Amino acid sequence: MRFAVDTGGTFTDLVIEHADGAFELHKSPTTPDDPARGILDVLAVAAAARGVELDALLAEGEMFLHGTTRAVNAIITGNTARTAFLTTAGHPDVLVFREGGRTDPFDYTRPYPEPYVPRALTFEVPERIGAQGEVVRGLEEAPVLETIARLRELEVEAIGVCLLWATVNPAHELRVGELLAEHLPDVPVTLSHKLNPTLREYRRASSAVIDASLKPLMTDYLHGLEQRLRDAGFGGRMVMVTSNAGVLDAAHVADEPIHSINSGPAMAPVAGRHFARVDGASDTAIIADTGGTTYDVSLVRRGRIPTTRETWLGAPYFGHMTGFPSVDIKSVGAGGGSIAWVDDGNLLHVGPRSASAVPGPVAYGRGGTEPTVTDASLVLGFLDPQYFLGGKMKLDVEGARAAIERQVAQPLGLEVDDAAAAILTLATDQMVMAIKEITINQGVDPTGAVLIGGGGAAGLNSVAVAAQLGCPQLIIPQVGAVLSAAGALMSDLMADHAATFVASTASLDREQANVVLADLRARCERFAAAAGASAAETTIEFAFEARYPHQVWELEVPLRRERFEGAEDVARFREDFHALHQDIFAVHQPEAEVEILGARARVSCRLRDPDLMQVAVAAAEDLPADERRVYFPDHGWADAQVVHLDAMRSDASVAGPAVIESPFTTVVVDPGASARRAESGSLVLTIPAAAGDLPAATTAGAAS
Amino acid sequence: MTAGSVAVPAVDPVRLAVITNRMESIVRAMSNTLFRTARSGVINTGRDFSACIVTREDELLAAAESLPIHVLSGPDLVARYMKRVHPDLRAGDAFLHNSPYEGNSHAADHCLVAPVVDAEGEHHFTVLVKAHLADAGNSRPTSMMMRARDVYQEGALIFPCVKVQEDYEHVEDVLRMCRARIRVPEMWWGDYLAMLGAVRVAERELLALGDELGWDALHRYTRDWFDYSERRMESAIRRLPSGTRTACTAHDPMPVAGAEHGVPIAATVTVDAEAARIEVDLRDNGDCVAAGINTTEATARTAAMIGVLNSLGSEVPVNGGSFRRLQVDLRVNCVAGIPLHPFSCSVATTGIPERIAGAVQLALSQLGPDIGMAEAGGMLPASTSVVSGGDPRRGGAPFIDFLCFGITGGPGHPRGDAWLNFAGGCLGMNARDSVEVAELLHPLRIECNRIVPDTEGAGRHRGAPSNQVEYTPVGATLEFIWSGEGTTNPAAGARGGGAGARGAQRKRGPDGAEVELDAFESTTLAPGETLVSFSAGGGGYGRSTERDPEAVRKDVREGYVSRARAAEVYGVVLDAAGAIDPAATASRRADLLQAAAAADGFAGSPVR
Repeated sequence: MRFAVDTGGTFTDLVIEHADGAFELHKSPTTPDDPARGILDVLAVAAAARGVELDALLAEGEMFLHGTTRAVNAIITGNTARTAFLTTAGHPDVLVFREGGRTDPFDYTRPYPEPYVPRALTFEVPERIGAQGEVVRGLEEAPVLETIARLRELEVEAIGVCLLWATVNPAHELRVGELLAEHLPDVPVTLSHKLNPTLREYRRASSAVIDASLKPLMTDYLHGLEQRLRDAGFGGRMVMVTSNAGVLDAAHVADEPIHSINSGPAMAPVAGRHFARVDGASDTAIIADTGGTTYDVSLVRRGRIPTTRETWLGAPYFGHMTGFPSVDIKSVGAGGGSIAWVDDGNLLHVGPRSASAVPGPVAYGRGGTEPTVTDASLVLGFLDPQYFLGGKMKLDVEGARAAIERQVAQPLGLEVDDAAAAILTLATDQMVMAIKEITINQGVDPTGAVLIGGGGAAGLNSVAVAAQLGCPQLIIPQVGAVLSAAGALMSDLMADHAATFVASTASLDREQANVVLADLRARCERFAAAAGASAAETTIEFAFEARYPHQVWELEVPLRRERFEGAEDVARFREDFHALHQDIFAVHQPEAEVEILGARARVSCRLRDPDLMQVAVAAAEDLPADERRVYFPDHGWADAQVVHLDAMRSDASVAGPAVIESPFTTVVVDPGASARRAESGSLVLTIPAAAGDLPAATTAGAAS
Repeated sequence: MTAGSVAVPAVDPVRLAVITNRMESIVRAMSNTLFRTARSGVINTGRDFSACIVTREDELLAAAESLPIHVLSGPDLVARYMKRVHPDLRAGDAFLHNSPYEGNSHAADHCLVAPVVDAEGEHHFTVLVKAHLADAGNSRPTSMMMRARDVYQEGALIFPCVKVQEDYEHVEDVLRMCRARIRVPEMWWGDYLAMLGAVRVAERELLALGDELGWDALHRYTRDWFDYSERRMESAIRRLPSGTRTACTAHDPMPVAGAEHGVPIAATVTVDAEAARIEVDLRDNGDCVAAGINTTEATARTAAMIGVLNSLGSEVPVNGGSFRRLQVDLRVNCVAGIPLHPFSCSVATTGIPERIAGAVQLALSQLGPDIGMAEAGGMLPASTSVVSGGDPRRGGAPFIDFLCFGITGGPGHPRGDAWLNFAGGCLGMNARDSVEVAELLHPLRIECNRIVPDTEGAGRHRGAPSNQVEYTPVGATLEFIWSGEGTTNPAAGARGGGAGARGAQRKRGPDGAEVELDAFESTTLAPGETLVSFSAGGGGYGRSTERDPEAVRKDVREGYVSRARAAEVYGVVLDAAGAIDPAATASRRADLLQAAAAADGFAGSPVR
């Protein structure tokens, strides 16, 4: 038995996977003051549901997979360690200057961002390595020792070190690391070239200081959680979900906690990839996870989950870059709690402000006064006020109507129904735009992809989203409401290794390339031998980061072989680059040579049989079908049949207009669309072409 | 095609928002294509480019993520000029345009312009990308020739809306000319392809949108969107106090007739809150000068608009609709107006335009509290040189690029302290190179890249400090050419704020001896020699004695301001532990206020 726990902002989700592939879902509130308690709570809920004691349940567990927003929350709330930054002399402002850039040029309300480490805790190290790895100025140790004394005085709790070109020649960084270990043995240190050996000093420095700042906190948390699970009876292995859609042993994450930053949402595409294959027979999918405040979109492109280097903590240009690849996820402020409002020029907006968990939508009756997407869904009949969360919460239809009337319908001169439909239309459009932006950036054609709807609110407008995108098929997995936790169960142990390797296809030194690749393989094998010893299968994939001469943004080009034996291997790599450039940017330059900047290797150790998690359809109960009035933006009010998900056996179909309900989600089936229950338990919806009157354009942004 | 369910109100707000999203996303797709695939560092790192959609009436419709100085006015003029010289527009046409006399900014900004023409041959929109090239074929290896006597000495190839594609095929005759005259032609070709890709992406998407929604609906949309934008502009202007003010600032001296003592720049700004109109008059400025600093019509107008929009807040959509409430008066043959051929406009996006925006901001700031802003520190310090030479690591292969480093200059403003990486008319939208990427691309080393303390324009809200950058060649002899401003005349503060530090540039020999250099100059550096550059600081907003003592304490702790300056200029006295000494601070501030009041008695005019 394996447990996957995803600690989100509002709920802690648990998925238990049994040896036969069957699974069960549980939810319990998150306890931010002590997240481990929320984890034990949800496990207790599961134990109670099975009628066993908690220790008996935990004793059956082989593996505990955990995703958490703890690291990112610590950063957002400023609760990380007091961290110092050590940098090359002459370059103290790497974290202050960053890489420039800004959005909204006439908006002077947002101040210039503070550096992740203040200048007062930044110290210059007298040394310099040149671009070829040559020592321009040797490391002077006496001033470093003075700095160390000062760090002790300042009671610094963590230290990030990033020296220029440490990726090419790490001697100085390593020596500084030794001095710190010797003189400040209790203070955790991150060396940039060890953590993230990548070009561009801001990104590498940012990685190092963010990582260092999380070490004290995450070490305590992970050790504490592991101890409490063990005390409660768990004897298995504990692994953490990472930002690159893999898992790592908790001890490894405690050493490099930056990997846990995107720990939660990164798992959704892993689950999406599985269901696209099982239910949609497709290796290309768009995964849309609808939360309370955001709509997170990610992709699977020919079986692979695209990653991006540019992961921002917070808004681009205003937050901090992690410098790490992470799953490419685009978030827009268009969730169920996003607030609809009208500006003084009479333009309707949805989001980015959210009613959040407190007070929540007006319909929750907990003091909310501003209408949200959820309120609009209720007014339109998408949600059953008596059956929200399986009837655990009653919704206030009249309150929702009144709020929409007051704040949207009257200012715009619309009927309430039309105003509610307009809110949904605009929210749907923002979601479509977010999907367009990420698909076009990654060279994916939405009309050839399957849309996977995750999150409790996914069913409200996913049919409309799919129709606008031209996606022929929409899949709502049975575990859709806990998609990230389900994804954790499907993920591999995974680690990325990188090396700087500068070359051109015109003059590639094959021996040097082979040495770099062999070294990467050795690092991957060390990982596999230690962490992945029990894996069913281990694979190592190699790639070069490459570009045309004078370009600066690299593409990651997978290597067909891990050795360059002859000139034809180089020529093949060059052709692969041309093809990828054409694929992503719609142009290529066949006569040009290709420049290589770095090599990467990813080692994946598969922990489980990939074809499990199929048997799932719960024993069908004979729940009566019902009917209610539902408003569809393109059709007006219609009588829709209401079907309980558990009443749908495998292969059962429902034609729209219809609403399919379960305790975790509500799926609205527009007229013309139809839904079928797949063997896996997923709902597979067939989308009629072009339901909307507005076409999809290329890419997108939020309404402003 | 439409649902037609309910009576649609005169303007459908949902549709308005949705199509606006579509238009902005098309522009973003243009920008992304250009940014990711371009070859010049100035484009693919510095983001020195713009992308926009212009209506068939030649009004700016959408320009997300573009540099403001490129785009507020200019694309409108270019689109109009295109129709004048090519009355018979056809699908598949594309034009190369960089003429400073016909709506462009400076000649180094190449525009690629394509009409969006439907299957019936009707022209509906114009799409345009503009990018600053590392080289434009000038007589010297720089894209900015501050000392150019005229457009002939400047030497750039001028393309007054020249057809480069017909039926989507290259017009090779013209492209061969570019290859023959632009330095490092393969780099130019890569940039050209990136720009072409960007306009074709936009064209394709707009044609798809027209097919789906109908062209009439799209034109109705642009009308509604402009009306909406105009309403937002009206309400923003109505929040300002009415009045007319003139402010004057000055560009650094140039060794040419009429500019020996600097170039005074005056702006008279009239806010009529009741009528919701703003007028900026730039006609009371000198004639064109025999140097590369003359503005173009586009950059003079845009600079005035930037100065105004900087005070109006981000809720006003920036397009032809909101611009209807804004009038800019320009004069022909004026250094801050409409240039006459053959005066050179080689540096028409920096320098004078920055001073125009500054003068407008200073004039607005005289209208009342919490309006206007200080002047920004002059752009293009020596750290932003165009550098050229041979790269010994590549067998001496020639290279040329515009380094995007070390510009700060943000002005203090009513809402807070300056944006650090502001860069004049870029308003911070530009990006910075990475030290490691620059050292990888070019045979040079960046010895230093740091903030210089005590260089900020002091004020209630302080200006950006100066950025010191040092370059030294590695194994090569390199030529650096820069076109800076702000070495003589600092950026003025507003509403009692102090001026930012002046910029400076020096050459340091192997023996450590330093020689001062001009703000616009060139130098050849051999290994062992170093170019030292200091950007100009931005002006402060409001009196320094009004600054929150806590903010001053933090500036001292963070090393932006010394203890001595904190006491001397801000009147904030810190004790040995770095805490505020309230009594000493109160007394020092009282003294400073008294001195300021005395000075105000005869200061009167902001003329510098």
